Amino acid sequence: MTAGLRHSLAVRVTAMFVLIVALAAAGLGTYLYRAFVAEIERRDDIGLLGKLRQVQILLGRPGAAELLHTRPDFFRDTMSGQENSLVRFIAPDGAVLADINAGGERYPVPPAAAIAPDRAAIAGWTSRRGDPGRVVAGIARLGTGTVTVVVARVYGERSAMFARYRQRIAGAAAVGALAAALLAALLLHRGLRPLRVLAGHAASIRPGTLAQRLDAGDAPSELLPLIEALNAMLARLQEGYARLSGFSADLAHEFRTPVANLLGQSQVMLAQPRGAAEYEGLIASNIEELERLARMIESMLFLARAGQDEVLPARQALQALDEMTKVADFFEGMAEERGLRIECAGSAVVLADPALLRRALANLVSNAVRHADAGTTIALQADQRAGSTVLSVENTGVPIAPEHLPHLFDRFYRVDTARGNADGSTGLGLSIVGAIMALHGGTAAVQAEGTRARFTLDFPAARPESARHAAH
Amino acid sequence: MTILVIEDEPKTGDYLQRGLAESGFAVRLARNGRDGLAMARDGGIELVVLDVMLPRMDGWQVLEALRGDPATEQVPVMFLTARDEVHDRVRGLELGADDYLVKPFAFVELVARIRTLLRRGPVREEELLCIGDLEIDVIRRRVRRGAATIVLTAQEFALLHLLARRQGQVLSRSLIASQVWDMNFDSDTNVIDAAIRRLRRKIDDPFAEKLIHTRRGMGYVCEAGPAAGE
Repeated sequence: MTAGLRHSLAVRVTAMFVLIVALAAAGLGTYLYRAFVAEIERRDDIGLLGKLRQVQILLGRPGAAELLHTRPDFFRDTMSGQENSLVRFIAPDGAVLADINAGGERYPVPPAAAIAPDRAAIAGWTSRRGDPGRVVAGIARLGTGTVTVVVARVYGERSAMFARYRQRIAGAAAVGALAAALLAALLLHRGLRPLRVLAGHAASIRPGTLAQRLDAGDAPSELLPLIEALNAMLARLQEGYARLSGFSADLAHEFRTPVANLLGQSQVMLAQPRGAAEYEGLIASNIEELERLARMIESMLFLARAGQDEVLPARQALQALDEMTKVADFFEGMAEERGLRIECAGSAVVLADPALLRRALANLVSNAVRHADAGTTIALQADQRAGSTVLSVENTGVPIAPEHLPHLFDRFYRVDTARGNADGSTGLGLSIVGAIMALHGGTAAVQAEGTRARFTLDFPAARPESARHAAH
Repeated sequence: MTILVIEDEPKTGDYLQRGLAESGFAVRLARNGRDGLAMARDGGIELVVLDVMLPRMDGWQVLEALRGDPATEQVPVMFLTARDEVHDRVRGLELGADDYLVKPFAFVELVARIRTLLRRGPVREEELLCIGDLEIDVIRRRVRRGAATIVLTAQEFALLHLLARRQGQVLSRSLIASQVWDMNFDSDTNVIDAAIRRLRRKIDDPFAEKLIHTRRGMGYVCEAGPAAGE
């Protein structure tokens, strides 16, 4: 069997259908045949018993004893004159008074139980030609005594009829199954047409035409959930693909600036003989650009791995205030230079990977320090809620326009495009925060109200892995 | 102190050889795994800097061979890898690597780690560190410069202690962030600069002789006397 046939739904369904029709036809045919045979046999037996009764009546007439001795043929003729009707008369002492048996058949003589025996007293035998025979014995009055009457019959034509009947039933079943197969194949071919149309549509979709959707059209209702699921998948693929291509473009663009600086300033420097101090300055400046590139590569790799679940957070219960204070200490010098204060408050236990939590908090605080107005306070707050721990970083600064809010956690998204990355940020800090929260099965969010911006990290309190998987 | 560098990438091999030689180590360079293993077996090597991706015999195989030979099993191995996969790190450490660095790395970071590996065994903490006229009493957490007592915050003290403990060595910003604040990721470099400025205001600004020096593009170094490259 070829792979094509083995996997063809149409062939499989047709084969099953043919099998079912053939079994049903054979079952029905067998039942009808059996019923027919039983009925015919019953009627023949009743006929045989009728013959016996007829002979008994004949024997009861006056002069029957003489007739039996002189004209046995008379009795045979009363059996419709058929050659295959056999009669035997046996005296009580066992002597055969007469035996009408033209074909010389040998048949068993059942005991003569009664005057009017029923079907149970009939015995079967097989004739010399192999046809079925039936025989019954009964007691009859003959004159003043009695005689045993044995009536037998060979049903030669009946066997032939049964054989013909069997052949016709088998033939009808075969033809029916064949017709069912053809009909099933035809119907399936037509019924599966929407699937072929669907396959054709799907085959024509390319990366460049991801915006296309499969046409539900006149597809049967069973296919609609599949078409809807495929279309939803296409929508997700389109979105992911668009994000990925946009991301590659952003990435190339972000790499372009440091590389242009490296190339440009190195070439300018080499164009003229310079003093050692100038060369040193160039190299140091190049190192700064290269460090920025290295940071971007590290961040990109982190995001790529987090996106593929290759970073496994080692979660443990941590005092949120301790972690926040550590991060606040880290930024203390930088905050002080900008006239900022960092305050930590709130008591809560957070279930998180300490290194990842610190990284997320550091990115938020770094962001806050860069954007806060001089002389203001950056507030770190921990709140224990039912089912989760919420950490927040709040600062006062230039208002964030509402249209930026949904994109703040996107890679390379910058509110102020003119500022670029002159301040040393890679534009990936907040997307790393988002990725870290996704790894913890939590969420990162931002709310802005006037000059206040508040970033929140919502860590689920439950450890189960299902929380993490549900988030993906 | 002889270091064997096994690295096939020509530029990387050259700068490692030159940089380590200028940092005061004797350096031998092998351009593939097989040569490197042969050189290690010749003896006289105190540390191996080993790249993972090597022609003919990769870093894993070299490491296994080194650890399987009684003559070389004690030699510390610093792994260099461009593939920062968790299972790679685990595999390297399981095979007996002593430390690893992920490319791209800062050269000063490599030197700092090599010095740590070569120091071997527990280091006795100095109770009193002196740099020029700066005295650091580690036990009492007191800092004096000449006759003046200097009051530092806990973080400032930790930062000064690190610089003083490694005096004369250039420390990268990421190493400082990791050692003082336990921040093990490349964060905003301005943070370390700001912390150093704060420390300088107390340690250096009031005095004529400066002790904390910036090595542009590399990091910071604490040393007395005329500092080159300032």
